[in-house]
Amino acid sequence: MKSKQIKIALRNCGHIDPERIEDYISYDGYAALGRCLFEDTPSSVTDKIKQSGLRGRGGGGFPTGKKWELCAASVSDKKYVICNADEGDPGAFMDRSVLEGDPHSVLEAMAICGYCIGADEGYIYIRAEYPLAIKRLKIAIAQAEEAGLLGDRIMGSDFSFKIRLKYGAGAFVCGEETALIKSMEGNRGEPIMKPPYPAQKGYMGKPTNVNNVETFANVAAILNRGAEWFSSIGTEGSKGTKVFALAGKVKNVGLVEVPMGTTLRELIYEIGGGIKSGKKFKAVQSGGPSGGCLTEKHLDTPIDYESLKAAGSMMGSGGMIVMDEDDCMVAVAKFYLEFIVEESCGKCVPCREGNKVLYNILDKITHGKGELSDLDKLKNFGNIIKSTSLCGLGQTAPNPVLSTLDNFYDEYYDHVVNKKCAAKQCRSLITYRIIEENCVGCGACKRVCPAEAISGELKQKHLIDQETCIKCGACIKKCRFNAIVVE
Amino acid sequence: MERINNYEQFKKSSSGIKKERESNSSKVIIKIAMATCSIASGAGPVFDLFKDEMPKQPKEFVLIPTGCLGLCHSEPTVEVTLPGSDPVVFGKVDVKRAGLIISDYIMKGKTVDCIIEGN
Repeated sequence: MKSKQIKIALRNCGHIDPERIEDYISYDGYAALGRCLFEDTPSSVTDKIKQSGLRGRGGGGFPTGKKWELCAASVSDKKYVICNADEGDPGAFMDRSVLEGDPHSVLEAMAICGYCIGADEGYIYIRAEYPLAIKRLKIAIAQAEEAGLLGDRIMGSDFSFKIRLKYGAGAFVCGEETALIKSMEGNRGEPIMKPPYPAQKGYMGKPTNVNNVETFANVAAILNRGAEWFSSIGTEGSKGTKVFALAGKVKNVGLVEVPMGTTLRELIYEIGGGIKSGKKFKAVQSGGPSGGCLTEKHLDTPIDYESLKAAGSMMGSGGMIVMDEDDCMVAVAKFYLEFIVEESCGKCVPCREGNKVLYNILDKITHGKGELSDLDKLKNFGNIIKSTSLCGLGQTAPNPVLSTLDNFYDEYYDHVVNKKCAAKQCRSLITYRIIEENCVGCGACKRVCPAEAISGELKQKHLIDQETCIKCGACIKKCRFNAIVVE
Repeated sequence: MERINNYEQFKKSSSGIKKERESNSSKVIIKIAMATCSIASGAGPVFDLFKDEMPKQPKEFVLIPTGCLGLCHSEPTVEVTLPGSDPVVFGKVDVKRAGLIISDYIMKGKTVDCIIEGN
């Protein structure tokens, strides 16, 4: 699993004790901050970040140095640095790992950012569901303040920088920077129109720079090893590495960091070890609920911001969920839509109402009540939601539906016309049946059936009553004679 | 850690800390992943076992609780570096395997069957 990986953001994770500042310092910790304060100027540090080609790792991919420059150019008596640690994609845990394994790398980078843009205060907006990350951050902040590496007059210089934590209640939309700022101010977590961008008018109406955890985790490494070193890794438009939370039906689930430009095939087969239990690869969802499903034909796509977008998905924050032949793509799209419907803040109509409509159509289809015209409706509504929603959440919400419709049209067709679910996941479209020749009448299925849908005397052939069967699949797991089939 | 009041002091202090870490290379270095995921899969008792058992062995060691290595498929993981050797990562370590890692690998240099990376 080690080969093909290059660890930059995760360079210290698994190697240092996150609760001892000395461990971080022993791996060049706070050296970059020291050099910035005593040997460099804010604009020259910002230039180095620009030259490195680092782009936002939260999903948007905006050039980080450019973002700092814009915020530095805003004139104000007060500015803020915010670290976005509101990681909410299902199955993603990149930020949690960095914060739990190497909290100082984020603190150091925030202070460097503060120095560059002219801020003396930083906030980490973190999910309250990450208690261990919060605990380790608190310890790290206390240790850094005690050592004079954060707080007033850092290392005796004129620069002061304080970092505080703000807890999020776990709303997906608060990962969007304007909604995050609203939430920090004590308001409902709802996005607002941009411009003005946070760099001009952000937290408390002051210029604010918001970066994701992983973006910050790259900063000190870039300054220690040089912008040229960083930009030598990756592709033309996407420099450095990306951390992915590899999950789903892949053998080696885990957290991996690969150079940009690595192909999906290398990620899934060489690093991930291929598909579990010898099953066939079907699709991979990158970018969480905002991303899209890519298929076999996309496996040689290099992982970078532009290529993934061109293929119909997106980089996103780094969730990578692998699916095999047992996954029904309509059900997958429905799962993501359900998440979106739950998480939509409700402010704009296309996202609030439109996604609900999409969800209802998908629900109808998975229950075998879909019609061919529904597929056109999904496409139409999806495109309208994309082009008319207010924020990133709504603008990307239909992606899982649209990408599965594009790549797995036959599967949708099968559901609405033939009323069949090939992956045998949609309960309304499948039946469990006992094969008489194989049944020995042991009664195991009858005993395990929670709906009492199976009848038959001991040592006699058993029968499943289709009316009562709830299609839970308990019987098939229990049968030792291969006497039950799903059709 | 002492308070840093100027840049020279930081550089001095930092290189002192670096030297101290490098001096650890003559000892057995044991790193145990202790992130949320590792703890959930049982790293706590494994860490406690190393903490209790290692002082009884006639070898100098450092025991470091770390964040995660990203090897979710094999948690809890333990990385052992014997002096002069490359690090070896053991996966799916429970208390029983942890005992074997100490008695066989650390003390006798024999391989233990749960190696997932290295050697």
